[in-house]
Amino acid sequence: MILHLILLSPLTPIEDLLRHVLNWFHGSVGLTWAWSIVALTVTVRLLLVPLTVRQIHSMQNLQRHAPQMKEIQKKYKNDKKRQQEELMKFYRENQINPAASCLPLLAQFPVFIALYFVLREFSKHPPGGNLSWLGHNFVPDITAHANAHWSGYLLLAVYVASQLVSTMLMSSTMDRTQRIMLMVLPVVFVTFLLNFPVGLVIYWVTTNLWTVGQGLITRRLMPKPQAPERRSSRSPSKETEPAPAPAPAEPAPAPAAAPAEPRRVKRKKKKARR
Amino acid sequence: MRYALRAPTYVGMALVHAYRWTFGVLWGGSCKYHPSCSQYALDALRHYGLVRGSILTGWRLLRCNPWSHGGVDYARDQRLFR
Repeated sequence: MILHLILLSPLTPIEDLLRHVLNWFHGSVGLTWAWSIVALTVTVRLLLVPLTVRQIHSMQNLQRHAPQMKEIQKKYKNDKKRQQEELMKFYRENQINPAASCLPLLAQFPVFIALYFVLREFSKHPPGGNLSWLGHNFVPDITAHANAHWSGYLLLAVYVASQLVSTMLMSSTMDRTQRIMLMVLPVVFVTFLLNFPVGLVIYWVTTNLWTVGQGLITRRLMPKPQAPERRSSRSPSKETEPAPAPAPAEPAPAPAAAPAEPRRVKRKKKKARR
Repeated sequence: MRYALRAPTYVGMALVHAYRWTFGVLWGGSCKYHPSCSQYALDALRHYGLVRGSILTGWRLLRCNPWSHGGVDYARDQRLFR
């Protein structure tokens, strides 16, 4: 009850907004409720695209500085905490904007919760109109629980698959345990999702598929030329033919020298933000 | 008694843990700051109580956006409440 209050009161405006957008998609655009949910999800994700673009840029930036960061990681191999701190310091000194940040993630959080409440209200007071999706034989009622019909299970399977794919797509940026956890958890979550309204599962599948698509495009856009540079620093593994001689002894071709122009080193001194 | 007074703080900390075990892992949230936002929230709540801890956490979350630069930022180094 308290949790409900804490979560709900600040969310009411978002909830109202989402309900309005949903109603608009249904009433004015003429989509079914299920497609309205999909449209709403896509809208939210579209609004988040600028953030993603920024993330791509910062990922490229990270890639450029990867050798130095590896160095730091090696230096403090035995002290994870210190390592983290040094890395963070390095980020700041080099004006690197790490890809991850909490706010965009959290931006999805209220949307999800609000959508949950909106859809829960749906199932309590079903609105008029078409509540099926992709034909009455596939998803008869999006307000019903996911385990009420075989299509719910199918959607959940799609959800798990998309989650796994998106984990694999971004796997290069995380460590092993995190990856394994992300692989196992969707399966655990499915047990909860079984009791969620199908509409919510549709939201989840849509947003996940969007993530996968975005990941694929990002992969395409991410320039690979960084790879040879990284290879030159150590591990000549791939370059077997051109360099058979034990060349790695030569004085490492200054990994820091990558960018041609000085890419505006300092912006405003430190000046103690916040 | 002291613990009873701190009950709201513990509720807040429990919420952070709940986040960690659900959405946190689901979205693979990792933070550009050290310690991470959720750890910062736990520290802030522990040291400054529910109200001030929540404000500090909120401010930290706002700073953890794609336009900031991240870095090392402990709750005990905050300058909002002195």
